[in-house]
Amino acid sequence: MTRSFDNLSRRDFMKLCGVIAAAVGLSDMFSVEEIAQALEPTSKKAPVIWLEGQDCTGCTNSLISLEDPSPASIILDKISLRYHESIMAAAGTVAEKAKEDTIKEGGYVLVVEGSIPEADDRFCMIGGRPFKEILKEAAQKADVIICAGACSSFGGIPTETPSKGLPVSKLIADKPIINLSTCPVHMDHIVGTILYYLVTHKTPPLDKHKRPKMYFSTYVHDNCRRRAHFDAGEFLKDWNDPTQQEWCLYEKGCKGPDTYSDCPVRRWNNGINFCIDAGAPCQGCSEPGFYPGNSPLYKAV
Amino acid sequence: MAKRITIDPITRIEGHLKIEVEIENGKVKDAWSSGTMARGFEALLQGKDPRDAPYIVSRFCGICFSVHQIASARALDAAFGAKVPWGGTLLRNLVMGAEYIYDHMLHFYHLSALDYLDVMAVADYKGKDAGLNKVKDKIVGLVQQKDTFPLTPRYNPDEYSVKDPDTVISAVKHYLDALQMQVKAKNMGTIFGGRAPHYQSIVVGGFTQYPNINQIAQFRSILDELAAFVNEVYIPDVLAFGTGPLLPLAKAGIGGGHLNYLAFGGSEMDEAGNKLLFTPGVIRGLKDPSAIKIDPFDQKKITESVHSSWYKKDTPKHPYEGEQVFDLNREGAYSFVKAPRYDNTPMELGPLARMLVGQDPTLLGLIKDQGVKPGVVARHAARAIETKKIIDALYTWCDALTSAMTKDEFKIHDTDHWEPPKEGEGAGYYEAPRGALGHWIKIKDSKIANYQAVVPSTWMASPRDEKGQRGQYEEALIGVPVPDPENPINVVRVIRSFDPCMACAIHLIDPKTNELRKFIVG
Repeated sequence: MTRSFDNLSRRDFMKLCGVIAAAVGLSDMFSVEEIAQALEPTSKKAPVIWLEGQDCTGCTNSLISLEDPSPASIILDKISLRYHESIMAAAGTVAEKAKEDTIKEGGYVLVVEGSIPEADDRFCMIGGRPFKEILKEAAQKADVIICAGACSSFGGIPTETPSKGLPVSKLIADKPIINLSTCPVHMDHIVGTILYYLVTHKTPPLDKHKRPKMYFSTYVHDNCRRRAHFDAGEFLKDWNDPTQQEWCLYEKGCKGPDTYSDCPVRRWNNGINFCIDAGAPCQGCSEPGFYPGNSPLYKAV
Repeated sequence: MAKRITIDPITRIEGHLKIEVEIENGKVKDAWSSGTMARGFEALLQGKDPRDAPYIVSRFCGICFSVHQIASARALDAAFGAKVPWGGTLLRNLVMGAEYIYDHMLHFYHLSALDYLDVMAVADYKGKDAGLNKVKDKIVGLVQQKDTFPLTPRYNPDEYSVKDPDTVISAVKHYLDALQMQVKAKNMGTIFGGRAPHYQSIVVGGFTQYPNINQIAQFRSILDELAAFVNEVYIPDVLAFGTGPLLPLAKAGIGGGHLNYLAFGGSEMDEAGNKLLFTPGVIRGLKDPSAIKIDPFDQKKITESVHSSWYKKDTPKHPYEGEQVFDLNREGAYSFVKAPRYDNTPMELGPLARMLVGQDPTLLGLIKDQGVKPGVVARHAARAIETKKIIDALYTWCDALTSAMTKDEFKIHDTDHWEPPKEGEGAGYYEAPRGALGHWIKIKDSKIANYQAVVPSTWMASPRDEKGQRGQYEEALIGVPVPDPENPINVVRVIRSFDPCMACAIHLIDPKTNELRKFIVG
């Protein structure tokens, strides 16, 4: 039998499943066996349609930024990626047909990246059709909709542009929606949520903004490594001063006290770094007010 | 009789692009390039704290992420009167170099290679190599499961497609290896950038992360791995394809276009800024590659036309002066992309332009010795060649940072110029992976009064201008063979060779907030 992750032994495969579960934050919820079951090649991989509206493709870029599971194993082994403009081999009508066929079949995961223009449909046209129409059509037979990033979750930066970007939840009312709202989507959040769905066929418990509680139940501020300096009133004023390097970034505009996300614990890009550890204030990219509500970005709230 | 076909969406690029071509006698007779998505970022920036700009404009694009961040920070540096300390410049160069490596590899292997490979030929691999057999098993396994998405469906392989199983299987293995490598390159950038895509640490005046020696060691260790891949896999692959199976395509110069090239130049190699990684210059109507004539670059000669774009009619303007208001109903317009011109001439920017203007010996060797003409294949080759140049530069910058850190006066930020000035204006340039990029800002009452970006993909994806001159994508398509209109594989090869970035290309700027609110919609 061909197994996922190329030709790993059973033992190595189980071990890897454990690593993956831990990496994307699922190990508390599921046993390794449950994860392994979902990741094992079944006769049919879960079909996925990934739509891009008013986006920057940054969330797609996040999807291919994890070491475990690797981008190849996500794209080829775990999901059946029927339509993704930035990745798929096909173009034009050949690409559009792959999407139409999948929609006819139904029962797929729909991922949406980017907002939907409210001001005029012509601000986002694909294959000669308004993106809004394409989204509504694809939503009808989707099992679940995952909004990758701030734009599809809450409207994001495009909200206050002349095109007036809308989030998916303003257009689709009758489907389960999961908002993964950081800008861009956190690589662990998007892969972990897809895996969660493959394991359970359910949406994870969500907060009032439809964000998974497993990723969005604590303030950045509460888990911040610099919290002791906040409490001690030590605020970074000069990025050149080595003695201030670990101090609180509140006076540089940090939005950590008002932002739900597990970034300080999880960090970004395979745990290498994250905004605050890079001396840069949290800009509250996971919150509904992002961006206009968070401006000016570099001033104390 | 001419037949008109539309390819929409053009996939495996960043963003939304429609290409229409008219085909006569099996060749493209005319072409129209049309950007079909717009947001209107800069309008949002009007009236905001100028320091917000680098963070926000980074979101023009999440593929060539942070190129707008650095161009914007440079425009702000100029407008604020900030002098970025050498440490800050080096850190900026390090994170942007990491972005380059990821971006170029991703373009060749993941956005382009499928246009040249008959992936399914791996099933005929008969060799004994264990690694390659794993690749074969993987693809055959997908075929047996009857689920080869996203590798299929696709346009049918043609005469230029590589079908030799040994060549194809090694390329497919490298496609998979390169997927891992582009993760590593982003990891490397994250060491100082905070996260990727969209770095967090480039701000006006310099950089936010104070480096330590361990981080430089970590950076170098990933760089070693990337250098090995670029030198031993990426460059040999591109050269082997370009001078082997794709040599006929290369010699035919398919996709050459206007043969005008522009580089702003940049990326400081020394503290005084005397030595640059990329040379600025302009080449017009390249005919004889052994006698390339390079004119100096003068940014005053840049204008943007809205002649065929969905904005209120206006004459071409320099970026500081531009005034555009949406008009989605204007007769004759067919794109959200504007038409930048240099001295009224359409230009190609990016790796091929940089390597030609910089007279790179490896590229010139391919042209002179192998008969490669500027076009699709030369573009891929130039991109690979410059990836190596970036790798070498990154080592130099790592050494320079290590040495700068030993000095007492080591600084990463001009903290004296952190607060926005009451009034000011500035331009910021950066040679981004897709080509020369410029941002222009005007500040009034310490707020953004006007913001403009002229982006490489805008130049190249542009529609016709007042003089009827096609943009470079359009021109590059003229004469391209399309024997089967149902299978326009050469059209997408040409377009993808430019590495289009449409979210970057369309960024709608308007200097007058009030007017923008009145944009015309149907």
